[in-house]
Amino acid sequence: MPQANVKMTVRKITDHTSVIDIEGEVTGFAENELMDAYTQATSAGAKAILLNFGQLEYMNSSGIGLLVTVLIRAQRQGQKLMACGLTEHYRQIFELTRLDDAIGIYGTEQEALAAAAA
Amino acid sequence: MTTQRNNLWQSVLGRGKKEAQVEIPPVEAPVAAIQHLGVDIAANDPLVAYFLTNRGAIELSRLNLDSPALTALRDAKVQIGVPLVSQGELIGLLSLGPRRSEQDYSADDRRLLNNLASQAAPSLRVAQLARQQQAAAAERERLEQELRVARIIQQTLLPKQTPKLPGWKLSTYWQPARAVGGDFYDFIEMADGRMCVIIADVTDKGVPAALVMASARSVLRGVVEQLDSPAKILERVNETLVPDIPPKMFITCLCVIFDPQTGVVRFSNAGHNLPILRTSTETVEVKATGMPLGLMPGMTYDEAEVTLKPGERMLLYSDGISEAHNPDREMFGFDRLHEVVAAHHSGALVEHLITALEEFVGSDWDQEDDVTFVLIKRSASETSDNVPGGRVLANFTVKSEPGNERAAMERVASVVESYLTADQLEKLKTAVAETIMNAMEHGNLYRSDIPVEIMALVAGEQLTIYVSDQGGTQSAYKLPEEPDLDAKLAGLDTPRGWGLFLIQNMVDEMNLIDNDDGHTVELKFNLQGEK
Repeated sequence: MPQANVKMTVRKITDHTSVIDIEGEVTGFAENELMDAYTQATSAGAKAILLNFGQLEYMNSSGIGLLVTVLIRAQRQGQKLMACGLTEHYRQIFELTRLDDAIGIYGTEQEALAAAAA
Repeated sequence: MTTQRNNLWQSVLGRGKKEAQVEIPPVEAPVAAIQHLGVDIAANDPLVAYFLTNRGAIELSRLNLDSPALTALRDAKVQIGVPLVSQGELIGLLSLGPRRSEQDYSADDRRLLNNLASQAAPSLRVAQLARQQQAAAAERERLEQELRVARIIQQTLLPKQTPKLPGWKLSTYWQPARAVGGDFYDFIEMADGRMCVIIADVTDKGVPAALVMASARSVLRGVVEQLDSPAKILERVNETLVPDIPPKMFITCLCVIFDPQTGVVRFSNAGHNLPILRTSTETVEVKATGMPLGLMPGMTYDEAEVTLKPGERMLLYSDGISEAHNPDREMFGFDRLHEVVAAHHSGALVEHLITALEEFVGSDWDQEDDVTFVLIKRSASETSDNVPGGRVLANFTVKSEPGNERAAMERVASVVESYLTADQLEKLKTAVAETIMNAMEHGNLYRSDIPVEIMALVAGEQLTIYVSDQGGTQSAYKLPEEPDLDAKLAGLDTPRGWGLFLIQNMVDEMNLIDNDDGHTVELKFNLQGEK
């Protein structure tokens, strides 16, 4: 299997909020990276996790499947999942798949963090 | 029973349907024991009827029958015979020589013998039946084993995959019968770039046929390397096989050589079913005659030539389909075969043939013979360049390896960019990537040696991307229900399964076309003029 072409960085914003910066490709190969990042983001007790897609190059249906898996985990653990930085195209895909019903979509990180703090 | 008596009685065993065999010890034997007497009692011997009507210990000296068995028993010094009868059938005889004490058998002795016989007979019968069944099972197992070996040999000899030739599609189908087998086919790439296709049927079955098949195959392969005319090839193969092939065994064979550049097909026939040529307008049998291989030396073979134009095909087949019978004992026959070929000018012909055969023979078919097809098709796609007003923007393949869709997607995007709006281009990228992923995964099962073919064509107001896999004709693409996010979140459905849904929402039109050996997905985008 090829290496995942993705880098995920976890930034702790507050005790309650963490950001995962996603850079590169969200495909089936990103599974370990995304799950590890999510664990890291939530292990300190964060209740709101923002996925920052500002550096996303490519996402496919397997990547969407991964997001669903993360979403299931978040809902089970009582955590809120948010997303920002999506291009118009991927925003449409979130709408098509109705992921935007379950993941709060924001234009920028600031908007998302403001909503999380409110 | 006393020791003395014990020594005296002799067993009689082994009566099958036709004959009983009798065992007896030599009278003189000091330590008399049970011994096989070796007297056969024919089923029609009057002694049998006598034994069946007169049970119990019988003094043979009192009988007056014209019976060879009786004479034989008396010669063997048998004094007393006790028939063993089970279910009205004589299954054995206890035969006793004179008592060692030289006294006559007493009434007690006789009672004892009668009891013994009435108890022994059913047990003996059970033992005989068990032995018969064991023997039958062992025989069945031996035959099954032989068939398995033959089948393995046969399978090993068939090509693992069909050769890939640009502009041509070779498809095969092989459905072995349970008991009879002997079909094989082969593809041999020739030094001059032509392709040699063999289809053959060895008469007879089982391991002998499989071994003849194996040697015929290697002889053919060797000869094709040296000669380049189908007639000469069959001639040489025949000469080589005749001295070695077992009597009454022979091979029918078609040797077809075609030139992928020109479409010229030359072939010769050794007693095999003639190939069926399907052009755009007609369905014809192309004739060439010759005797089967291995029958007699000095044979010569006709050679026929046809040219396959783009979109035309030639079907090679074995008699497993033409001679298949339906429950009314009707034969599938050549006419029906021709009708199916005539009815399908494009699309998955082999699949249509199988469907027609299955419908004809019904669900309880005990397949009589191997069913084999080899379909040689010259692709029509090279004419796509000439679609009126159309232009091929890209035509390439990618290996079926996970992750390869990304680069292929970028490659398509780069050549179609100028025809699409930015929004359309993004949609095209997602649609193309998802379609290629499906083709690699569900069509080609991520076998990296099998490529996905991608073509981008612009014609009139429409851009079409064709993505083709070679995953056979099984239905790898099931159009899903609209994915249900709630069900997925509730764990009721897999988190995956978004691909086709996405594709359908990205394009103006999507079509799924079945080919002979896989699928083509067409993605269509309406061009908006201005750009």
